[in-house]
Amino acid sequence: MRVCMLFIMGFLVFFGYSQNKETLYDFIDLPQSLLLNPGAEVRFNYHFGVPFLSQIHVNVGLKGASLYDVFADDGRNINDKIESTLHKLTSDDYLTVTQQLELLSFGWKSKKNEKIYFSGGIYQELDVIGYFPKDFAVLAYQGNRDFLNQPFRFSSISGSAELLAVYHFGYTKKVNKSMTFGARAKLYSSMFHVRSTKNKGTFATIETPQGRNIYQHVISNADVTLKTSGYRGLKDLEGKEIVNKLIGRAFLGGNLGLGIDLGFTHKINEQLAITGSVNDLGMIVYSKDVETYRARGNYVFEGFETPIRFSGESPENFLDELEEAIPLDTLSTTYITMRPLKFNGSVKYSFNKYDDGTCNCYLEGEQPPYQDAFGVQLFSQFRPKRQQYAASLFYYKRFFNFLRTKLTYTIDDYSYNNMGFLLSTHIDKINFYISANNLLEYTNLAKARGASLQLGFNIIM
Amino acid sequence: MNVKKTFVLLCVLCVVVSSISCVKDVDFDQTEDVVLTPVFEIDFVYSRFNTDRFVNPEIDPSIVVPEVFVNDTLDYDLLGTDFIVDNLERIELTFEFRNTIERDFEFTLGFLDDNGVQVGPFNRITVNAGNGEGVTPVVTTEVIVFDNATINILATAAKLISTIQVQNINSSLGGILEMRSKGTYFINYDL
Repeated sequence: MRVCMLFIMGFLVFFGYSQNKETLYDFIDLPQSLLLNPGAEVRFNYHFGVPFLSQIHVNVGLKGASLYDVFADDGRNINDKIESTLHKLTSDDYLTVTQQLELLSFGWKSKKNEKIYFSGGIYQELDVIGYFPKDFAVLAYQGNRDFLNQPFRFSSISGSAELLAVYHFGYTKKVNKSMTFGARAKLYSSMFHVRSTKNKGTFATIETPQGRNIYQHVISNADVTLKTSGYRGLKDLEGKEIVNKLIGRAFLGGNLGLGIDLGFTHKINEQLAITGSVNDLGMIVYSKDVETYRARGNYVFEGFETPIRFSGESPENFLDELEEAIPLDTLSTTYITMRPLKFNGSVKYSFNKYDDGTCNCYLEGEQPPYQDAFGVQLFSQFRPKRQQYAASLFYYKRFFNFLRTKLTYTIDDYSYNNMGFLLSTHIDKINFYISANNLLEYTNLAKARGASLQLGFNIIM
Repeated sequence: MNVKKTFVLLCVLCVVVSSISCVKDVDFDQTEDVVLTPVFEIDFVYSRFNTDRFVNPEIDPSIVVPEVFVNDTLDYDLLGTDFIVDNLERIELTFEFRNTIERDFEFTLGFLDDNGVQVGPFNRITVNAGNGEGVTPVVTTEVIVFDNATINILATAAKLISTIQVQNINSSLGGILEMRSKGTYFINYDL
């Protein structure tokens, strides 16, 4: 059975995220590098992204398992494979997906001060992370019989999903010969948000040889919260009405937030540079269309006493008792969530500058650029349970003036052999770029733990 | 290299990437074979009482009560949902009695619908007589099994009725009868 790449991308979008764009980071031939580091060097006078096509980005990650683990056509029973995958996965494993679509992208060099570059735009982003709810997946798949006296932790339930539009405007300034600094202000308009994190408490079936009954089913110190915004208003809508409502929210009609990106490039010498950036240092205030569900309490179930008249107690109603012990509250209180903060950093060594006119690798009048560069990059992102990290080695190669490439090797949560490649063509003012990672797995994406793809068209001058 | 060549190169690259980027050696049709078979153990009914509950301890011990019959009903609609009826393969109700009262007891368990009409069979368990107060209790264990056919019959059950029956008791009898039980629910859910 052969299923093409787009199908699998689309399939995984519903399940699975990390926003590491290791190929695009510090790829200063592209204006999109300014979105990752507003303090990146700028070598062009203006840019304009083709609307809706300047950046299409999909990134999927599965930590802990691949589709192959479950769906391998190997003659084994799928139920056995699910069971072994279930035992292999932990509650720190996750499925992530991020998708971004740049709607508008533009930038220009200041006329008053050519050391300053302004850039701005709008992009839409979907960000989903779902940790594997190991304990309750096991409970649902195998039941409690083989797990007596073992707690099932509500903390294993953790995840978030958000659909938002981001309006941004950035300022990049070459402060001096060795330092470039930049900042980008962001206005977030959240269309839909759901989040359940920091849940507490346990459920356990305890054997009680001396107790009133064979077991005690104990819900202990439960505190489970599901925050939603933008959900209540969609509940009763259908199809096109939902799309229209979401579009309205994208145009600043949603829950609003503010954020900032900061970054720098410091040239230690002509060839050696270090860069660093922090993205999405900000928060969104959710006050519109908020519905938060929260259940807290303790409950012990020991079965039904019969004949009840012997004890003189009133008859038990299991559900009433449970609802009384662990009431489910529905709240509409405003809440605030920090954006997933991201850090990037790199050290780059550039070499091979053909400034003797022997190559067709730069435009006339242009400062001859270095043709090759290599270095290391680090990435980190805050997630609901813990930070995610990635480290990359990269090699940049400018073959001709119109063809620039970057090869990366990344170690991250998903794999230790993630090769990425970016190809960028610059023909006259028209730029097209395409980038993908996990290339070694492309021959069989079913075995891949993650995949990332971005492409786009720009006009750069 | 001119512009035309570059586009040819790009086209070739796109074709190569899209042709090699496939999902191989997997069969998504296997989802049809996924069966969830969790087994849940949940407490059922329990009881603990002494002879005071059957016979007034202050009456003359020479007076023998020929038979005492106590019944009780509980709301019980676990089997009332389509999911349970369709996907519950088997129920095993395990009863454990510990008796020190020197009499046999008869325990009966059945189900009633909303109108109080009996649904499905009544299940009887004879609890063995104990050896007297303060002595190690006599343990009687019994498992009642409901197969899928019985579970379908019990779909309309709304109440659980239990009776305890004992014969020839008097106020001199001492001891305790303890009943503990659990239900083991075997789910077979075909995706």
